[in-house]
Amino acid sequence: MSKRVMVGIGVTAILVALAVYFIFPFYWLVIGITKDVGQLFQKSLLPGVPSHLRENIQRVFAYENGVFFKWLGNSFLYATVGSVTGVTVAALAGFAFRRYDFFLKKPLFILILGFSMVPGYATTLPLFMMFRDLRLIDTRWAVLLPAFVNVFGVYMMVAYFNQITDDMFDAAEIDGANDFTIFLRIAFPNIVPGFITLVLLSFVGSWNNFFLPLVVLNSRAKMPLILGITTITDPQGFPVYNLTLTASFFTILPLLIMFTALQRYFRPQLYVR
Amino acid sequence: MTSVTKKKLMTTLKAYLFLAPFLALFILMVIYPIGLGAKLSLYGQRGARMWYVGFDNYFRIFQDKKFWEAFKIPAFLLFVQVPLMLLLATIVSLMFETRKRSGSVFRFIYYLPYCIPGIVAGIVWSYIFSDSMSPLKPLLQFFGYQGEKLLTRPNVPLILLIIILWEFTGYTAFVIYSSLISIPREYSEAAQLDGAGFWQIAFKIKIPLLKDVLITLFIFNAIGAIQVFNEPWMLGGLVVLPNNYTPAMYIYSSAFSQGRFTYAAAMGMILACVTFVFSLWVLRTAAKQLLGSKS
Repeated sequence: MSKRVMVGIGVTAILVALAVYFIFPFYWLVIGITKDVGQLFQKSLLPGVPSHLRENIQRVFAYENGVFFKWLGNSFLYATVGSVTGVTVAALAGFAFRRYDFFLKKPLFILILGFSMVPGYATTLPLFMMFRDLRLIDTRWAVLLPAFVNVFGVYMMVAYFNQITDDMFDAAEIDGANDFTIFLRIAFPNIVPGFITLVLLSFVGSWNNFFLPLVVLNSRAKMPLILGITTITDPQGFPVYNLTLTASFFTILPLLIMFTALQRYFRPQLYVR
Repeated sequence: MTSVTKKKLMTTLKAYLFLAPFLALFILMVIYPIGLGAKLSLYGQRGARMWYVGFDNYFRIFQDKKFWEAFKIPAFLLFVQVPLMLLLATIVSLMFETRKRSGSVFRFIYYLPYCIPGIVAGIVWSYIFSDSMSPLKPLLQFFGYQGEKLLTRPNVPLILLIIILWEFTGYTAFVIYSSLISIPREYSEAAQLDGAGFWQIAFKIKIPLLKDVLITLFIFNAIGAIQVFNEPWMLGGLVVLPNNYTPAMYIYSSAFSQGRFTYAAAMGMILACVTFVFSLWVLRTAAKQLLGSKS
């Protein structure tokens, strides 16, 4: 019995120690945004006294005539439109793979999956050249269009649709429903939780996507937050640590709120970008 | 035309109607750029002028020491960070399993860093290790750390290890935990009746059943290691790192700082091939799982 208690204490100790490691940067970020640069340089683990929180927030919001709000708006635009369109398109494609036995089905599926593994760094460079020829560089389309392709979404949609039995589809067909009605009335309502999960994961993925905007955007007014915050400097071009920290905090705040509120939809799906 | 082939033709037509939006975007945004990249990789370039050179870029890359040096960090991550993380995550997931109900707070906290973009993780951690702001330095000095700075180039791999473990260990543990709880309880109960202890059950019964999940996780993380960019990019703001610190950084700087697009395109192709070889196992399993049993 006492051995069991010891093991229990040991397990708790390890879990707590790791929890400290995972929480620490969040804690440091939160106390960091209450400090000005001088206080940051004091290396303390306590909140800044006096607190500069309000001043930091005001300075971030006022930075370059409020470009911060443009970044925020852009992030929401890219992440919302990108994820909803991408997952909807993926749902249609996934339905085709689930429902029909068609010409070139298997090779097509393997081709799509195969290309999903090609790293973004290999496609982003040619995408840049392509967008340059199409005069789409430094437009919002250059960030949005690639986000519409959600290969992982297709894969997951096939898995979700597989959970619906053939009988349900056949019954609807006998009742005279056409194929699109079957998709809309039978297939889609049954996979709504999965749809939400994929939209959320894809939203987070777009929100956090740094490399593509870095390559295809030049003007600050079109940047998403994740790229914008890395461009914050004083007029001489030197970093302003307290402002970058405060802006970073506001970059992750929507994600943290979403994650906390919608926790049950954030099941791991072995998601990789 | 028989009615069977006619029916098959109709099904194919319907299927491709549902597939059309995806396929159009996929061809435009994935296949065509990769084709373009493959084509460009066969061209020489000076400024805006380009000419066909065959496999010249590839021969030059194979002799480019800077390209091969860029793989030091991915190799370090692949052989140190990934195994360490999988081990840690497996242990954590086994601990999660011993407290399914009371552990939900821990699971929440552990998963949280996964939502944080690599760039923000890079900013916060690089400040935490920076010379001017590090709260760790007084702490480490208290325990007898002698070094002048924490954020030095020799220390960067270790700091990357700390950042990437922070980002993905909890998520990985969560994935393993999800498969653990789907193992039928009868298995471990039967073993328990036969007198097996906790560790014996873990190693002899549970971990073998997790083989597929662990292999998949290993492959995804290996691919992530080859592509690492955001975290070293942000660390590069506070400590001088060479432009070939990782393959992705070298490709980026070759293309956009030096304007050597075709050379960078060829490097991108090599990276894509390496990634593809890594992912074959996952692809085969995925295709088998989803389509194999049906039709």
